[in-house]
Amino acid sequence: MPRFGRLLHGAGLLLVFAVTIFPFYWMVSSSFKTQTDLLASPPVWLFTPTLANYAEVFADQKVVGAIVNSLIVAVFSTLLAVVLGTPAAFALARYDFRGKSDLWFWFISNRFISPIVLALPIYLVAQNIGLLDTHLILILVYITFILPIVVWICTDQFRSIPRDLEEAARLEGASQFDIFWRIYLPLGVPGIAVSAIFGFIFSWNELLYALVLTRRAVQTAPVVATSFMSGYELPWGKIMATGTVIVLPVTIFALLVSRHMVRGLTMGATK
Amino acid sequence: MSFLRLEGIEKRYGAASVINGVSISAREGEFVVFVGPSGCGKSTLLRMIAGLEEVTAGEVFIDGARVTELEPAKRKVSMVFQSYALFPHMTVRDNIAFGLKMSKVPKAEIERQVAEAARILQMEPLLDRKPRQLSGGQRQRVAIGRAIVRHPKLFLFDEPLSNLDAELRAQMRVEIARLHRELGVTMVYVTHDQVEAMTLADRIVVLRGGRVEQVGSPDELYDAPGNTFVAGFIGSPKMNLITAAVAAREGAALTVTHPSLVAPLHVASRQGGGGQSGPGVGDTVLLGLRPEHLMLGEGPNQIELTADLSESLGGSTLIYAQTRAAEPMVLQAAGRRLLGKGETFTAGFDAARAYVFDKDGRAF
Repeated sequence: MPRFGRLLHGAGLLLVFAVTIFPFYWMVSSSFKTQTDLLASPPVWLFTPTLANYAEVFADQKVVGAIVNSLIVAVFSTLLAVVLGTPAAFALARYDFRGKSDLWFWFISNRFISPIVLALPIYLVAQNIGLLDTHLILILVYITFILPIVVWICTDQFRSIPRDLEEAARLEGASQFDIFWRIYLPLGVPGIAVSAIFGFIFSWNELLYALVLTRRAVQTAPVVATSFMSGYELPWGKIMATGTVIVLPVTIFALLVSRHMVRGLTMGATK
Repeated sequence: MSFLRLEGIEKRYGAASVINGVSISAREGEFVVFVGPSGCGKSTLLRMIAGLEEVTAGEVFIDGARVTELEPAKRKVSMVFQSYALFPHMTVRDNIAFGLKMSKVPKAEIERQVAEAARILQMEPLLDRKPRQLSGGQRQRVAIGRAIVRHPKLFLFDEPLSNLDAELRAQMRVEIARLHRELGVTMVYVTHDQVEAMTLADRIVVLRGGRVEQVGSPDELYDAPGNTFVAGFIGSPKMNLITAAVAAREGAALTVTHPSLVAPLHVASRQGGGGQSGPGVGDTVLLGLRPEHLMLGEGPNQIELTADLSESLGGSTLIYAQTRAAEPMVLQAAGRRLLGKGETFTAGFDAARAYVFDKDGRAF
């Protein structure tokens, strides 16, 4: 029975793995195929890889510009959300004040609204204040999405930090800011890292608002990638290569940050 | 002149009352131990001295100054937490230096102070390690190091040894006593362990249910416990308490009888005169006998017992027995004197070592 259970377990894992990884594999492998190999039916599994698609992508100023735009928007929205969200999380985790649970719920409820509901109102506002087609409007909009995530995850993370540490620091003469800056931030790194990854991935992949709020100047990578999907013949190779190039920075960022996500960072503080 | 003074301290959380009017004081350089069962309010009291907990009513004075509303850092107290509360992301050096850094002490001075603390606590080789790389005893030492570098007026210890194993606990206990001798600073120490209280304290404050039961030196509490609670709490194994009857009373002396007592026992009051208060003829009282004061077969007064179980501790033996009234009784006999179950025997004791409490538990 345990043997059978293990087999079942393995089969399940394999299935999940295949379902999640296969599209990814298909995108990457297709990006190295010629248009002929790509459209072959049945599909070609063994082929001579070509870099032609990548050459085409990098030759396209639109793609390069879009990646730069995406980087600017994703980095700043994530950074600002973390800068604004961590003190909020600290306050929610450690202070008692009137309306605390309402505020907490407000942060969560931000995510109840379907993004598309707000797309039009935000478009109109952006148009009126002249922020259409700017990095700033995307950054501002994305912060409203990322901030709740940061506050959520970090509040939880900060709550898990033993209270004794704060009290010890207070006795030693640390101000509230010192406690936040020297104790909670460094010890909250795992939570901050996780929320930063979520935030970055969200900004990087976001399509709806990027599509609605930008025209030519500030098109982001997902917008440009989808823009190829018009016209008579779809350049699948280029689309796949663009997709691969878009996925790369997030993957690198996630790998870099995952190092800090190790649990048990607080081990040894208290017994 | 008292160095630390608590006046009528009360603490309530909503309707729940935790501390009910505690007034105590400590002289400069004194080692005061708050002892009591869990939930007696001893830690809360300590945290109120530190300023980590607000007082509902009453006043706190440190070194002649009223500090009741003063924030913790300005009270010049250091505290060692039960959990040690070391900063896990900082090295031992940074942990110890934290308070000095916060009070903007010059770098060179910090270096000097940290080195001094490391020397006193013999942990120079550990300075660059992180807390997770240290053993329990070493962490404890770092916590103490962090407390001493700031040269506080008052040292507070909140059950600092309860996370250590028995051997280390004994070792650290000696070390804390040594530290107190060397630094000569006033220390307030909270524990539920009466051995720690007895060995460390100049003065013990026994707490129960947020009230002070008794204050005194370890010997005073051992020799003259004010009530059955203190009698049971100080001393190990616990004092035996059996129900006896008063046969006669002459001023400050009682004659009590018990089915197991071979002859009526004459006991003098420990509370001085005695007067007309306290138990009278016909009243029932509690007779207290400490296990270590009962000797097998010898002594001027004899009590007859039936053995249940014996435990050899190597050098001495614990004998669990019953009186004729089926009350449990523990004896600590010298040497190895294993008695079988059901064996009857007599134990002797000195009347001066017998304690009498009235039916409300107050000492006679």
